[in-house]
Amino acid sequence: LTINNLNVAVIVKLEPDFSEGNVSYNADGTLNRAETKSILGPHSAIASNAAFYAKVKYGARVAVSTMGPPIAETALQQAQLLCDADELHLYSDRIFAGADTLATAEVLKAGIYKVEGGKVDIVFSGHRASDGETGQTGPQTAWKLGYTFLGNVIDYDVDLQSRLVRAKRLISLQGFYDIIEEVEAPLPVFISVDPSYKALFSTVSQRLAFEKYQKEAKARAENYKQYLKVLNTQQLDINPKLVGLPGSPTIVYKVERIPKAKTSRKAEVVDGTDHEQLARVTAMMYEVLGGMVIK
Amino acid sequence: MMMMSKYQHLYVVIEHEDGKPVPVSLEMLGEARRLMDGFNKRYSSDEKVVAVVLGDNVRKLCEELIFYGADAVIYADSPELRYRRNLIDTKVISQIARSADLAAKFSDGSEFVKPRYMFFAADSIGRHLSSTVLAELESGLASDINKLVIEDLEIKHEHKTKGQTMKYEKTLEMYRPDFSGFLWTTILCLDNRNPAIEREYHPQACSIIPGVFVPIERQVSRRGVIVDYVPKFDEHDLKVKILDRKIVKSVVDFDSHKAIVSFGKGVKDSPEQDIKLVAELAKEIEAEVGISLPISKKPFPVSQGIDSTYMIPDRVIGTSGRKVAPLLYIAVGISGAMQHIAGMKESGFVVAINQDENSPIRDECDIFIRGRMEDVIPLLLEELRKQRPTIEVKK
Repeated sequence: LTINNLNVAVIVKLEPDFSEGNVSYNADGTLNRAETKSILGPHSAIASNAAFYAKVKYGARVAVSTMGPPIAETALQQAQLLCDADELHLYSDRIFAGADTLATAEVLKAGIYKVEGGKVDIVFSGHRASDGETGQTGPQTAWKLGYTFLGNVIDYDVDLQSRLVRAKRLISLQGFYDIIEEVEAPLPVFISVDPSYKALFSTVSQRLAFEKYQKEAKARAENYKQYLKVLNTQQLDINPKLVGLPGSPTIVYKVERIPKAKTSRKAEVVDGTDHEQLARVTAMMYEVLGGMVIK
Repeated sequence: MMMMSKYQHLYVVIEHEDGKPVPVSLEMLGEARRLMDGFNKRYSSDEKVVAVVLGDNVRKLCEELIFYGADAVIYADSPELRYRRNLIDTKVISQIARSADLAAKFSDGSEFVKPRYMFFAADSIGRHLSSTVLAELESGLASDINKLVIEDLEIKHEHKTKGQTMKYEKTLEMYRPDFSGFLWTTILCLDNRNPAIEREYHPQACSIIPGVFVPIERQVSRRGVIVDYVPKFDEHDLKVKILDRKIVKSVVDFDSHKAIVSFGKGVKDSPEQDIKLVAELAKEIEAEVGISLPISKKPFPVSQGIDSTYMIPDRVIGTSGRKVAPLLYIAVGISGAMQHIAGMKESGFVVAINQDENSPIRDECDIFIRGRMEDVIPLLLEELRKQRPTIEVKK
């Protein structure tokens, strides 16, 4: 065991596939969950890419974790293909169902403690899930773990000797400019990866390592069950009162259609094949643009 | 004398950039003011709107926050707090939220344990800060809220009340639009009264979508209490260092364009060609290009160039993105979900191009061009070129 080793974990989620042709909507515009198949969430995939960067660049050991029903193992397999995971962890128990973000974070915390004997240096998560969209589970898991939370990370590097992470974060403030901030933090850290994150492999040796691990990832994902561990409440040493519905402070009280706001406009309907009418619309458009200077 | 509650007041966590409040901070204060005025009247109480500020040299900002509706401001002023660092900020805010001594500066703090309600901004900073603070305070948090109501509710819940009907007073109903923009989910944060899992969850907290609520009018005659808090730092926490900060300009510039052309899921049949058409239309009238939220989730495959130029979060118009108000707004293949409308309804003249005359956008535009964009846009381009004004500048 050298001091230069790095253990990373990725937290992923199985989510409805929102890509065209796979997503199905009800007549009223709401998601038809029964008809929509599930895949590794797009932000989870980006988090997996960030973990793969650690594997290629630092030879990190990678574990992928998720909480969910048995079907969620497909998300683990898809993530393994992206990051060549050495371990896959599924935290699965009936009593986890219906959890809000705080109760989910409790399970994920307990789970991360089971990875590499609790010696995980960096945990990655996606920016937010496409279905729940709260973006809360990552930072709450970080807090429960006692890890420094770094959000909106677009780039990171690790100094294995000093055990420091340097990361760039993208911060957007309403009505203000965006800021790219460079931060340094001692390991362990929890990184939530910004949607714009892209791993760059600049040296020849990195590109060779990239190819090697990608090949390995493909072979592993084909036999992903060999790498899979399924853990329940007991195996995770979890207090059942802190997870699932009992451990969730929040409930969904009601779901309703958003009432239509009062409209201030009354549309004139124009036939899109009628040249004359479109000529008139064009004239109106130029009129509202008024003083527009055309080059 | 009425019994004091362990949970009192509404704490609003303020965001600012070097002492200048981010708009959502004043929006949250405005909504907090309205809610607590109603609350105090209804329950004959005197609970406060309390702004919480961390920063370096922020005393002046504290006074401003009182003009904008805060009854009290608790601020922690230190060079260590100039820029936002989640770890330190979470600890300081949690110390403030738990301090009866601080609450005693502006109210009877004798029974105070934690705030009753707590607001954060649903932005890059507040989304994460709210999460970690509520993990520390061990209570519930709802995100991306755009409507708030305080009610006494009759609740019957398998876990919370063990199936019994129970009254929950002064409950904050937190309304959250879902990703489709068609559904509103109401989230509650409730104590577990079921004896088997009994537990109190306070504060009831949420993050609030920027641009939704309206600040109250600034009144310099408003008075309030400003409380200076000297935070306790852990040496270890200060090891998280900010090395550099750079301001970046987005490639997308909605503000200096007179026109915006946006597209939505209507481009699905031939996305590559359709998006190119939209871009051509935008170029013709020197418009910036916007998109609806679903497009930023990249629902269909297109070339790398189109993807990285157009299908990016920076271009999203609506509650999950930017609020715009150009002179001319052209919505191409956009159905008109509430979330999108909220971002463009202040536009001057709105033209929709859509095949489906029943889509909600029809009620939100001035001209509804019925037809396939593949047919309509080329005709429009032809007309635009024919009618293009000459360069001649008239005096």
